[in-house]
Amino acid sequence: MAVMDVDKLKARFVGREFDTSEFVVKHEDALTFARCCGETDSRYSDPEHPDYQAPPTFLARFVGRRTMPEEFPADEFRGAFDGGKLVVAHAPVPVGETLIAASQIADVFRKTGRSGAMTFIVHRMEFRDRAGTLISTVDWKLIQKEGA
Amino acid sequence: MILDLHNHSIKSDDGRARVENYCQWIRKRELPLDGFVLTEHRQFDAESDYRALENEFGLRILKGSEVETEYGHVLLFGVNPDLERALDFTRVDLPLATVLEESVRCGAVAVPCHPGRPNVGLCAHYDTLGPAEGVRIIEVASGGSRAGEEEAAAALAETHGYLGVGGSDAHIVSQIGRRATRFPREIRDEEDLAAALREGSFEAVRWQ
Repeated sequence: MAVMDVDKLKARFVGREFDTSEFVVKHEDALTFARCCGETDSRYSDPEHPDYQAPPTFLARFVGRRTMPEEFPADEFRGAFDGGKLVVAHAPVPVGETLIAASQIADVFRKTGRSGAMTFIVHRMEFRDRAGTLISTVDWKLIQKEGA
Repeated sequence: MILDLHNHSIKSDDGRARVENYCQWIRKRELPLDGFVLTEHRQFDAESDYRALENEFGLRILKGSEVETEYGHVLLFGVNPDLERALDFTRVDLPLATVLEESVRCGAVAVPCHPGRPNVGLCAHYDTLGPAEGVRIIEVASGGSRAGEEEAAAALAETHGYLGVGGSDAHIVSQIGRRATRFPREIRDEEDLAAALREGSFEAVRWQ
């Protein structure tokens, strides 16, 4: 794969919302997620707890209807691998409610490391409740090794 | 004064440590550091103010940068607005010659780091590009090194007569304080650190 023009990608795609999707935080799913994570805090594992909520990382499992903007050169990222997710919790994740997630490309950047040069795409989903309160920001990094 | 010259906080894309947590770790583990430098990747963090943490923990917290060149990664100490204007810190293909020249012109000091590391260290590029003119100091003690990499850095320093500093290249709290640099005097701020490096009186120190 040729070296991508990161400046052009940034100018064209970064910061532009390209998808809005709705997700229901289902009680059973949240509880199963908490148990699978080995969660011991009763706020996440006990539905009878007065402050019961889904674990902060629960929202990282949701994927929007589109994962990349239309016209994004996805072919150039065919060999990309998952660089992990970063969740910033702004408010408790309400169980049983519907959240609205807006997706955007938050950043595109290059870096060099032991294994050579790489291009990173940071895909961001911001989850809000119906009142517009920001619940969580989930950044997902996709890494494309140059020359791969 | 002992400073760990190479660390990353959550300001770096791959940093997972908050600066406050570095301070807590240093004090909890009673590490023999008087302070540390934050060298965030491809940027200079001009906005963060760590004076309250310095006072709370009795540590010197200074800021530098780690930029990327055709010869690998380079630490910048004494970064100032002149240097920020002279270099595009975000690029991964900065010419090392320009980084060295502009650092001198602006009163900063450029130090190629982890020289023994594949792809992003000086050693990997000296065979193909030839020795870089103007290098005076390299990071001979680097906490992120794998077997043989620090030995390669030491050999490079000996061959070319480079001075050596130490830094942990910490990205998580438990990595700080593995390598550092001992200065014979107190370092007050970033400008003073650059001055101390120019003076050339320091030594790299190692702990596990």
